Amino acid sequence: MLKIFYLIILLSSIMFSQQIDFQSPENIKLFADFLFCDNDYLRAIDEYEKYLVAVDDDLVQFKITIAYSSMNDCENAINKLGLIKKTSPFYEQSKIELLKSLYLQNIDSVFYAVAETLINSKSLYANNAYRLKNTALLLSKTELPEKESFLIPFEVEEKKTISDFYNLKKNPPYKSEALAGVLSAIIPGSGKIYTKDYGDGITAFLLTGLFTYLAYTNFEHDHPTRAWIFAALGAGFYVGNIYGSVASAQIFNAKVNFEFNEGVKLFLEDKKYFTPNYDFCK
Amino acid sequence: MISASKRILLFIFGSLTSVFAQSTLEQQFKFANQLFTHEKYFDAITELKRLQFFDIDNKFSFQSNYLIGKSYKAGAKFDEAVNYFTRAEMNSENDDDYFTSKIFNARTNILRRTTKQAEKILNELLNDPRFISKEKEINYWIGWNYIFSDEWEKAFEVFNENRLDTTLAELCKTVDDEMYSVNFAKYCSYLIPGLGQFYTGEYVSGTLSLGWNILFGYLTINAFIEDRVFDGIIIGNFLWLRFYSGNIQNAEKFAIQKNLQISNKALDYLQYQYKGEKP
Repeated sequence: MLKIFYLIILLSSIMFSQQIDFQSPENIKLFADFLFCDNDYLRAIDEYEKYLVAVDDDLVQFKITIAYSSMNDCENAINKLGLIKKTSPFYEQSKIELLKSLYLQNIDSVFYAVAETLINSKSLYANNAYRLKNTALLLSKTELPEKESFLIPFEVEEKKTISDFYNLKKNPPYKSEALAGVLSAIIPGSGKIYTKDYGDGITAFLLTGLFTYLAYTNFEHDHPTRAWIFAALGAGFYVGNIYGSVASAQIFNAKVNFEFNEGVKLFLEDKKYFTPNYDFCK
Repeated sequence: MISASKRILLFIFGSLTSVFAQSTLEQQFKFANQLFTHEKYFDAITELKRLQFFDIDNKFSFQSNYLIGKSYKAGAKFDEAVNYFTRAEMNSENDDDYFTSKIFNARTNILRRTTKQAEKILNELLNDPRFISKEKEINYWIGWNYIFSDEWEKAFEVFNENRLDTTLAELCKTVDDEMYSVNFAKYCSYLIPGLGQFYTGEYVSGTLSLGWNILFGYLTINAFIEDRVFDGIIIGNFLWLRFYSGNIQNAEKFAIQKNLQISNKALDYLQYQYKGEKP
C-alpha cells in the first residue's frame, strides 16, 4: 500500500514537471537566443529584458546592445552600452561597439573624444578604434594627417584601398566652376564638354550657333523683327549655357563627393566598422 | 518479464506526460490566439514563435505559422506574412489547411500588389482537382486580383460570369465604363491636335493645343509658300513639331491621370464602404 502511495507521488511530480514553464528564466533565455539568431531583434530584446529581471547576465546585456546596433537603433545601443560594467567580460568589446554606434549616429567631437580615449588605452581594440577614427576622418572636413602616419593602423590588405581614398580626398578630381563658365563664354557648350556633359555641350553649341546665324542673316536681309527675335533667343541660349556650365561643374563635383563618401561607407560596412566577429549563433 | 500492473503503470505514465506537455502547448496557442483576437499582433507573434520554439513535435506547426502570417498581414508586414503562409502551406496536414494557407498567401500578394504571384497561386488552386468545390471562392479572389491589377473589365467578367458578387460586378463595370482609353486619347491627338484633351474633359488645354498648332502650322506652311525654306524648317522643327508632339504627350498624360483618379476613387470605396470580404 505504501509502495503504491510513493509511486503515485513520484508519478504525479514527474508528470507535472513535463509541463513547459514558458516563463522560467532558462526558457526565456533559450527562446530569446532563438529570436536573436533568427534576426528578430526587437522580440529578442524584449525577452532578454525579461530574463535580466531574474538573472544578472553580462552576455545577455551585451547581446541586447548588439541587437539594438543590428537594428541601427544607435541611441538605445549607446544607452545600453553605457550600462556594461567594467567587470563584464564584454567590457572591451562594448567600447569598440560604442565607438561604432557613435560613428553611425554622427561623426562629431564626442566620437573623436571616445576614439582618442580608446586609442590611448591598453584596450585589445585600440587599433580597431584607430582604424575607425582614421576612416571616419576621410568623411569629415578635418585636415588629414600625413599619409604615412595616417596609414599606420591599417592592415596590409587594407592599406591599398585606404591609400586610394586618401589620395582622392587630398586631390579630388573636381572641375572648376569658373573655368567651366569661362570656357562656355568663349565657345558655347565647351564648358559642359569640360564637365563631361557631352550631349548638352554639343546641343548648346549647335543651338547658340544656329540662332546667331539666323539673327545675322535676318539682319542682313533686312528682316529686323525676326532678326531681333532670333538674336534674343541666341543671347538667351548663350547666357543660359554659361550658367548651365557652372551648374554642371557643381553637379559634377557633388557627384565626386557622393561617390567618394559612398565608397568609404561601403568599405566600413564591409569591415563591420572594425568590430570583432561574435559567434553567438553557432 | 514485466508484470501486467507495471506495464499499465508505464503506459499511464507515458501517455500522461505527453498529454501534459501537449496541454501546455495548447494553452499557449489559446493565449496567442486570444492576443490575436484582441488585435495585439506584435505580442501574438511573439507568443506563437515561443510556441513554435517549444513545440518539438511540430504539433502546432500549421496553426502557429498560419496565425503568425495573419498577424503579420494585419500589421501590413506583407513580406513576412507571405513567408509564414508559405510555411503554413508546407506544414498543412489536410487539404483544407493547404487551401486556406494558399488563399491567404494569394490575398496577401494581392494586397502587396504582387498580382502576378497571386495569379499564379490562384490558377494553381483552380487547376487542382481537389478544390473543384471551391471554384467560386477562388474565382472571387481572381476577381479581386484583377481589380488590384487595374484590369476592371476582366474583374467584371469574373464577378459577373460566376455570379459571385453583384455589387463588385456593378462597380467594376462602372469603373471600366468611366475609364478613358489612353491609346484613343493619344492617337486622336495625332489626327486633330487637342482632340485627346477634349476627350478627357480638359477643354482649356485642348483649345490651347489646337490654337498653338494652327498658328505654328500656318507660319511654317506660309514660310514654305513664300520660299523661305530655312525659316519654314526652323519654325516647323522648333515650334510646330514641339507643340504637336507635346499635344500628343499631354493627351496621353491626361488620360492616364484621369484613369488613376477613377480607379483610386473605386479603391477608396472598396476600402471604406464595401461590406463584403476583402483581401
